[in-house]
Amino acid sequence: MTAVRTVVPLLEARAVSFQRQDEPVFAPLDFRLHEGELALVEGDNGSGKTTLLRMLAGLLHLGAGDLLWRGEALQRDLCAGDILFLGHQLGLKADLSPRENLRVATGLHGTREGMDSASLLAEIGLRGYEDEPVRRLSAGQKKRAALARLAMLPATLWLLDEPYANLDRAGIALVNDMLERHTNGGGAAMVTSHGTVSFHGGEPRRIRMHG
Amino acid sequence: MSRATLTTACAAMLRRDLTLAWRRRGDIAMPVLYALIVTMLFPFALGPEDTLLQRIAGGVVLVTVLLAMLLALDAMFASDIEDGSLEQLVLAPQPLALMLGMKILAHWVTIALPLIVISPLMAALLHLPASVIPVLLLALLLATPLLSLLGAVLVALTVGTRRSGMLLALMLLPLCVPAVIFAAGAVAAAQQGLPWLAPISWLAAALVLAVVLAPLACAAALRIALDS
Amino acid sequence: MANWVPLWLHRLSSPPTFYRFAGMLQPWAMTLALLLGAIALYGGLVLAPADYQQGDAYRIIFIHVPSAWMSMFIYAVMGVASFIALVWRIKLAEVVAMESAPIGAAFTFITLVTGSLWGKPMWGTWWTWDARLTSELVLLFLFLGVIGLYRAFEDRRQGARAAAFLAIIGIINVPIVHFSVNWWNTLHQGSTVNVFGKSTMSWDMLWPLLTMTLATKFYYAASLFRRARTDLLSLEGGKDWVRQIAQDEDAR
Repeated sequence: MTAVRTVVPLLEARAVSFQRQDEPVFAPLDFRLHEGELALVEGDNGSGKTTLLRMLAGLLHLGAGDLLWRGEALQRDLCAGDILFLGHQLGLKADLSPRENLRVATGLHGTREGMDSASLLAEIGLRGYEDEPVRRLSAGQKKRAALARLAMLPATLWLLDEPYANLDRAGIALVNDMLERHTNGGGAAMVTSHGTVSFHGGEPRRIRMHG
Repeated sequence: MSRATLTTACAAMLRRDLTLAWRRRGDIAMPVLYALIVTMLFPFALGPEDTLLQRIAGGVVLVTVLLAMLLALDAMFASDIEDGSLEQLVLAPQPLALMLGMKILAHWVTIALPLIVISPLMAALLHLPASVIPVLLLALLLATPLLSLLGAVLVALTVGTRRSGMLLALMLLPLCVPAVIFAAGAVAAAQQGLPWLAPISWLAAALVLAVVLAPLACAAALRIALDS
Repeated sequence: MANWVPLWLHRLSSPPTFYRFAGMLQPWAMTLALLLGAIALYGGLVLAPADYQQGDAYRIIFIHVPSAWMSMFIYAVMGVASFIALVWRIKLAEVVAMESAPIGAAFTFITLVTGSLWGKPMWGTWWTWDARLTSELVLLFLFLGVIGLYRAFEDRRQGARAAAFLAIIGIINVPIVHFSVNWWNTLHQGSTVNVFGKSTMSWDMLWPLLTMTLATKFYYAASLFRRARTDLLSLEGGKDWVRQIAQDEDAR
């Protein structure tokens, strides 16, 4: 890994937890994530993986504890656009084509340096489907279209909730490729998965969650 | 690396929602048909007496347009919630209120504008004098965006619930009383040959206020509704 | 001022403290409400003289007017509690706001019913589209909207926050409705009814009215305490203090 390890972690959690109807969803968590790092969030169904990612993304309020972004308390204005979230719902409009969906995303976020949507979509395995409405794509192809958004947008931290779901062997390799390229470029990622995953770039950090 | 500017973001939102509406342009026709049918039912119910229909024409057109808009209001965020694009919008590095403002604008263009276009026909079905129609159009042009804006806030509040249709009506109707009063009041005044500028000005003032405040309230409501 | 006030408020707003405090006060408030209500009814229906214009029909004001005041008072309480709930995320404020809504709706409903009962002999009609009546009707719809929105959510705290937001929007709405209906009536030259006129009330009529107002206040407090206690128990179901109460109940 060539990424520069800064002393201040990109994201730091101190005793972070979340309550739903006063029931803790997961036990207090501590972790640090540096630029260039990849963390695998592990846990059984219902252990709060999705909740954690949604909270880190800023969709849910912080239950308790502290979240620091580059050493400062995490606020929306501080990190807006620097964090991308990919959840169970992919955020694609079914009536728009992958190309149009990407255009909306870049309109809102901007574009990562040296990226253009045509070659990206081809590279990601959607050649010939660029202008097909997402509605007509298979589940795996939809996932690829959503992954294209990650690669296209400028962001440091990726929060991926079950990115491997619905993907074939080539698709899984693609996700791993993308993650490797992202972390090598100084980005960081947190990935949830309940399956076993093998990354190219050595063993990832593991964050174990208990419900 | 290039960050998105505010104008490109606004344009992207507007273009997205208008494209989506165009892809489903059959849905645009529905409120229009609904409004026409409701208007047609009044002469059947009340009898084809000209003077009576003339007297109620302005009010009927306004209330019908309001109900047609209410019917379509539910869908403002529904599909965006379903496919997760609303989450993505909340997380985008753009002021959420402004982006929602664009969504409301697109919704107004696709739902209310066709209704306004068809309103002279509705008025003619009820024998509203042609001289009053410009005032009716003006009142609709001011009242419908007001309803879209108020409605958007309430729809945002019901985002996390199921079966929100009737609830939406219950919440919206008390809020839209002033808009209906002033819009219908302007039409009635014009019909009686009275000055109608005052109610129109009140509507315009309310609209200005709503344009500024409603998107902010909508954004706040949406954050509450998504945070669960 | 010493800073004991916010501290005291903060401690009171912790659910177990409030639960005990409300449990202590609730029977007293209810007793006072019933007692004052009985005195006011006796004073209003028996002791007070008949009105020289309206005869005995006016006596409905001893129910109608306090209810009308309470409907607005409770909306104001709900609005303030909603604001506190949204800004500081205090659970007790959410509970107070949401449990005030049904009581407020009930008072508003009583106001409307007694008003139209009164209106029939006085103005010869059950209902008139006067600004005050319309505002009261809109108030009822707002209360119902708040209740409906609150119940529509599966997560009760989230529902409370959304409904609190609606309550605050409603506060802005009521004066606008009042103003617009006033304007509308001048246009339509409808029957604008002056309920009290400029006449001052005699003391014989005033004291039962004020006593009844006090009684409704105490009733509201008692009812709110009772509802809030039930609500807190179910919201805090898993907490130690609730478990303690359940154990104490079992031991008895």
